[in-house]
Amino acid sequence: MNPLKLAGAMLAFASAAWAADFIDCRAVPGWAQEGLAREFVADNLFEYLDGNAEGYLIYGFTRLQNVTCKSGGDSIVIDVYEMANPEAAYGIFAANRDPNLPIAPLGMGGQILPHRAAFCKDKYYVELTASSAEDSTPALKAFVAETEKRISGRTEPPEALAWFSAEKLLFVRLIPESVLGLRLLKRGYVAQYEFGKGFVVAEASVKSASAVMAKLRERFGAPTPVKVADEAFQTKDQYLGGLCLFRKGRYLGGFANLPEPQDAAGLATALAARIP
Amino acid sequence: MKKNPSRRDFLAAGVALPVAGIASTLRSPNWPAEQTSTPSPASPVKLSYRILGKTGLKVTTVGFGCMITSDASVVERAADLGINYFDTARVYQQGNNERMVGAALKRKRKDLFLSTKSGAAGKEAALKDLETSLRELGTDYVDIWYLHGKDGPADVTDDLLEAQRIAKQQGKIRFSGVSTHRGQLELIPWLAKNGAVDVVLTAYNFSMDKAMEAVIGEGGKAGMGVVGMKVMAGGFRRVKPSDPLAPKLKREGAMLAALKWVLNNPNVHTTIPSMTDMAQLDENLRALAEPYGPAEEKLLARQLDYISPMYCRMCGKCEGTCAKGLPVSDILRYLTYADGYGEFSLGREEFLALRTEVAEVRCRECSICTVKCPFGVKVAKRLSRAQELFG
Repeated sequence: MNPLKLAGAMLAFASAAWAADFIDCRAVPGWAQEGLAREFVADNLFEYLDGNAEGYLIYGFTRLQNVTCKSGGDSIVIDVYEMANPEAAYGIFAANRDPNLPIAPLGMGGQILPHRAAFCKDKYYVELTASSAEDSTPALKAFVAETEKRISGRTEPPEALAWFSAEKLLFVRLIPESVLGLRLLKRGYVAQYEFGKGFVVAEASVKSASAVMAKLRERFGAPTPVKVADEAFQTKDQYLGGLCLFRKGRYLGGFANLPEPQDAAGLATALAARIP
Repeated sequence: MKKNPSRRDFLAAGVALPVAGIASTLRSPNWPAEQTSTPSPASPVKLSYRILGKTGLKVTTVGFGCMITSDASVVERAADLGINYFDTARVYQQGNNERMVGAALKRKRKDLFLSTKSGAAGKEAALKDLETSLRELGTDYVDIWYLHGKDGPADVTDDLLEAQRIAKQQGKIRFSGVSTHRGQLELIPWLAKNGAVDVVLTAYNFSMDKAMEAVIGEGGKAGMGVVGMKVMAGGFRRVKPSDPLAPKLKREGAMLAALKWVLNNPNVHTTIPSMTDMAQLDENLRALAEPYGPAEEKLLARQLDYISPMYCRMCGKCEGTCAKGLPVSDILRYLTYADGYGEFSLGREEFLALRTEVAEVRCRECSICTVKCPFGVKVAKRLSRAQELFG
């Protein structure tokens, strides 16, 4: 965010509400808060994230408070995003994280890079951005530690993450709408592997999951039924490659973008076995 | 804006835009030999094209805003169907979006036009962003490189324009642009006048100030390429499933109508609606083939009704007067400057010009609001927001 916009945003809201509970610039020696905390809600998030707000709204953004911490000529902006629930907080973290770097055990997950850091804990997603051209890792680490301990609540990542095999796994993301680019698969987790992708979508009930499965069968023409979980089929699609989709209870899952459908069926069987 | 029901008419107008002033830029050996993109011969979709101002690029009227797209298959299929303009930005998902878009379009890169953006505040940082973008996109050049989210002439600094000039000289970008979500009424005429960039990417939709039509016309007249974004008015994403109007607003083609409304303006050369799935892609492609008509107008009127609880129409028909003497419609107008038109500073300036005793009133301290809006604007709530925003 450029300084002009930041200055404008500083005028937007001055509040001593919940950000003060989470962020204390003075907790890190040599740093102090500059100006007041700022708050943004869905209707005016664009004032802060000009051109990028929709990417947060789609994950279930509720509100944002932030402060600027200053030490000499260096500043660190700490953004605390309150999301709809812990899953949404993990979702935006996973969308923004560097997939080439590991996830650190900070809250439900975090990353500290030379100029920025991020973590999620409970329904909060926290981003810290350093202004210095120098490596700001030590300061970012200190602020992450301070902020993380002030947020209470969930520290375990969403349980669905554990359902995906770790072998050749690159990353797992929460897809907020249209998993695999299919509107029928409303919201779920996608695991990107070196060889393709797996997914899990939770429906509200067995009945609704069955209905979606029927529509998927129709969508893919005449797919070949296979024995995976409660019901399943495999087929080949121009854009989704070899794929196998299954239903287990109220869950829909499967694999796509594989060289051949039969590979997908084997992987889908293993995935289904891990879903409770 | 002028409503032209004939698709042929507005397409003709679009193609007739001046192409003689095609920007003279150094050519990179990696750029495609042709200035135009060739649709897939197998595409079942009837595509329409317009010339993107002085760039001379022949773009499909519906492009693809990749910002919230998660699955590469949707982008890939869009390219196969013939959509030839794709937009992303350095900041989307911290670069993960560029990586996905690059992978999806790799196979057809030379047949497509690709744009990205940098929100950097200075030349060095912007050029560094460009290097990163090219690496993540897996390409040697982008067709348009935007300065991201500029709200006024002061944001478009000489330093940033210099970065664009350097990038052009190095063959890393073909054309320069500015993207803007707010402050267009001042920014676009300024860009048109000084000719600093080739393309403007602007928020533009049916819910915006009518003055936008003239401003976009000015850009087009100056030969700037005009790309429309936020064409769905954002409001559609605000519709909650529990809202009684949700089924109508979401299922009866309101989004498509909004897209057609934008395309009905021949000075808009292409659009970049967000698409997350194949169904949305198919719907948007229909906009290429069907004109804007009375049915769409009706749908959009309904959508305006939906957002009316937020926006004052400034009709002066408020019922009752404020017990504390607030000039209600004036304050709501100031809020509309900020929320509706993105003119935060103007709204605040007007608010602060109010008499001190009026500016210091806080509506949350009143238990009952004595002012009612015949069109359903939530007066007390909106006034409170103005007081928090500007006070």
